[in-house]
Amino acid sequence: MIQSNIFTDILAAMLVPLRDVLVQLPADWYGSIPVLTLILFSILSLIIGLRYNPLPVSIIGVILAILEVAALDSSTYGVSFGGLFVRDAFADFFIYLVLLVAILVMISATQYGGDKGPYNFLFLISFAGAIWVVMATDLVALFMAWELMSTPTYILVALSPDRLGLDGATKYFVMGLISTIFMLFGIALVFGALGTTVIAEVGVGVAAIWAAPASLESQAYTLLLAMALFVIAFGFKIGIFPGWMWVPDTYAAADGSVTAYLAGATKKTGISALARILLVGFIAARFEWYPLIVVIAILTMVIGNFLALAQKDILKMLAFSSIAMMGYVFVGFAVDTQFAISAAFFLAFIHAIMKTGAFVLVFAMSIKLQKRITYEQLNGLSVRHPLAAAFLAIIMISLMGIPFTAGFTPKFVLFMSTVEVGLWWLGLFAFLNVTFSLGYYFRVVRAMYFRTASEEGPLSLPRIPVSIVGICAILVLVLFWFPAPITNLANAAAALLIP
Amino acid sequence: MQMDIIQSIVSALPLGILPFMLFLPLIAAFAVIILGSRTARAITMVIVIIEFVLSIILGLIVDPAIQLDDPTGGALGWQFTITALATGENPPVLQILLGVDGLSIVMIILSNLVVLIAAISSNHIKESKSMYYGFFLMLQSGLLGVFMSIDLFSFFVFWELVLIPMFFIIGKWGEEGAQHAAVKFVIYTHFGSAIMVISFFVLFFVAPTPTFNMVLLRNMGLSPEIQIGFALAVFMGAGVKLPVFPLHNWLPWAHVKAPTPGSVILAGILLKMGGYAFIRLGLWMIPGGFARLSIPLAILAVFTCIYAAFTAMAQTDMKSMVAYTSINHMSWVLLGVSVGAAGLASSDPVLQSAAHLAIQGAIFMMFSHGTIISVMFIMAGQLKYAAGTREITKIKGLLAKAPHMTSVFILAALAAFGLPGFSGFIAEALILFGAVTIYIWAGIIGFGIFLTVGYILWTLNRMVFSDPDPEMEIHEASRSDLIAPVLMMIPVILLGFWPDLVLNFTQSVVAFMLGGSP
Repeated sequence: MIQSNIFTDILAAMLVPLRDVLVQLPADWYGSIPVLTLILFSILSLIIGLRYNPLPVSIIGVILAILEVAALDSSTYGVSFGGLFVRDAFADFFIYLVLLVAILVMISATQYGGDKGPYNFLFLISFAGAIWVVMATDLVALFMAWELMSTPTYILVALSPDRLGLDGATKYFVMGLISTIFMLFGIALVFGALGTTVIAEVGVGVAAIWAAPASLESQAYTLLLAMALFVIAFGFKIGIFPGWMWVPDTYAAADGSVTAYLAGATKKTGISALARILLVGFIAARFEWYPLIVVIAILTMVIGNFLALAQKDILKMLAFSSIAMMGYVFVGFAVDTQFAISAAFFLAFIHAIMKTGAFVLVFAMSIKLQKRITYEQLNGLSVRHPLAAAFLAIIMISLMGIPFTAGFTPKFVLFMSTVEVGLWWLGLFAFLNVTFSLGYYFRVVRAMYFRTASEEGPLSLPRIPVSIVGICAILVLVLFWFPAPITNLANAAAALLIP
Repeated sequence: MQMDIIQSIVSALPLGILPFMLFLPLIAAFAVIILGSRTARAITMVIVIIEFVLSIILGLIVDPAIQLDDPTGGALGWQFTITALATGENPPVLQILLGVDGLSIVMIILSNLVVLIAAISSNHIKESKSMYYGFFLMLQSGLLGVFMSIDLFSFFVFWELVLIPMFFIIGKWGEEGAQHAAVKFVIYTHFGSAIMVISFFVLFFVAPTPTFNMVLLRNMGLSPEIQIGFALAVFMGAGVKLPVFPLHNWLPWAHVKAPTPGSVILAGILLKMGGYAFIRLGLWMIPGGFARLSIPLAILAVFTCIYAAFTAMAQTDMKSMVAYTSINHMSWVLLGVSVGAAGLASSDPVLQSAAHLAIQGAIFMMFSHGTIISVMFIMAGQLKYAAGTREITKIKGLLAKAPHMTSVFILAALAAFGLPGFSGFIAEALILFGAVTIYIWAGIIGFGIFLTVGYILWTLNRMVFSDPDPEMEIHEASRSDLIAPVLMMIPVILLGFWPDLVLNFTQSVVAFMLGGSP
């Protein structure tokens, strides 16, 4: 414990000079400095991309953003633009998540698209938007950031090497538009009912209306409608029950880095936005929204798991399994204690690591083999490329939620939390769903280790994606024993929402 | 003098003896997978022998009189905090908490013994050896973890860890149809664990200070409703592993389809995890809850015994007959546990001492069955190599054609039906004496003995003592194939004459349980 303190002290000391430089900037920018850095570098990489390979520049940009987040303590330097975008413990958790996925995705972009200026530009702009989404404290600011994050991803999906990319992008775009419309309508209703769009003030307003429901019935119903619209709107991006249909098509069509980013990061920003709206804005209406969330969680788990089992394409299977995983996260929202929210965030973080690794590797294989990866293509991978097979197996085992991988702990704690509020049947149901999910994860492991390959000879994969998967696999193993850095962040984030 | 050397060895181990024993196979598993097939068997043999020696040392240095809740007994204990679950002062934490008492030591020695024997008898595994031995060592870690854990979180972690390597060992190295059997095994056990883990969560939250620590939960004196609910959930989790009548259907499949060492570990230790969970989580932690359920559980045990005996009689495959014999024998453990629980709850000294006998018998039965059934499974596996089939009806005149192998087989068969002089007899006698004193009708289980003797002798008659079939080729088993079963017969016979070897360890634990929760 003491040693780790020394370690963090040294790190902090190293970041002091950076902080000293950064505080020269206008005080109104402090909280958003990482975002502004990303925007600056996105334009830089667009310009450099005209002549040279811009990928190193973008990677430097992302690393710089990470250092800035670490250097600027959120409690002192968290506010920016008059409190429109605020970094707090909750936002920090998701910022680290987004940036971790971002760096892995940018490294993975060396396989495809990374040498083009626009590709880098779109990615960095989307990262910037994603960070602003988690920082937004105002519904309109949230909307702006949401669009800043989403719009580039529509194009990124369409830039896929696969011809199906356009198909996936169209579907994604239409769904995204619908969700945008719902969101705008929800914001309008909230503004109409309460006259404010600041989320904290919405919380106060909702509490006041819920305290005197008889006289303000029409306003209460307006707010409930708005709340339902928000759940649906963000649910589209997260890929939960009513809006999950685009997920498999888009994930399977887009290139692997984009899919990893969509599954790893943008999904999680949707969760953070929804968490802020439900747990800060509509916390007074808790008993109205929690049955809705329970139903959504159950349907999402069931749909995700059943359809994942039916898939032959690995990318689609992974897409459906992340739908199921979002169902588990929503179990945490349904329970709605500090404990559960913290576990849900923890699960979201671990899920981001696991899914990023899996998508990057499967995409690398599909580029190499020039075809869609089904279970048959994975046959005998343990012989053809032992290292990649071992890494993928570790990630699969972690996705199953088997002990000694990081996938186990958050699920354990999450299902544990259901018992505290008497939703034990939901916990049991979720647990049985996890059992069910063993079916399709095992198939991957079985194909890699127990089936013989149809093609002989070793399969050579580019080193970079394999090493990304390696990082993810090692993180997954280490985070079982030492999850404290992440759980502390998650606990702090949850404590901020639910004191 | 010798004790000094042992003590200095133990104190030289990194982390302490318990975590060292626990993590050594897990680390070695990775080494084996990385280093490849050529060295796999050698490394595994070294590790399992070290583990076995360490477990004997553990038996020598630990005073069985010290209980888990004894503050001075914490010398061997080890804890590792994984994470805190909330912010603030003294948040609840997830921990790996290890500790041993007499009961766990018996189980640890048994599991290391069975794993050693299974490793020796793995000589017929030729395909992807490094994966096989990797899983094998992982399995050993999981088993040891279950028996060492004294908190529900780590108990569950290791309980689940056992599933994965076992799934692969059955599925990949088993016979035709093994994958189906492996899936069935996982689904059954996982379903049981799901219900059990929910009950763990309930205990966590009903406790005044949220905790998974078994010792603290025991000392809390939980309310009767909670205890009964927990007992039922443990029944679901442990009953699948044991197995008990309605939950037993995975067992014959898994045992028959698994490779021989896999069946040995399944029958030798995996079933004991169920028995151990009944005793540790049931009798030891919430005696009150089990006492209220003792009559239905005892009825179920008696029924399972007789039912399994009849089913075993109908089997034609040798391995599947042995598999049903395990169900038959493990129901004795459940009987011992249930009548023991009834005795615990009463204040009558006669019933108390009967309960003492029954619980000790149950623990002894687990040890004795673990050793006997391992030999039986190895011999059933040998039949496949010797005669090309395991069909009881097809093999004839075994004694004339393969005398060495057959003599070991006969000894094991005699031990299996509890002939005096073998360990099985002591176990059945202890449980029966205790059970009849508490519930006179529990003596019906004697009919089970009668049936068991019947079908085993009938099998011997058909296979061993019949006239040789001239058209059937039967080879004698090679020397190397007989090492494992002969080694394993040593404890079977030794314990038949000297049961105190095991009972010395368990006496004080059982007395501690009889003392009731404070």
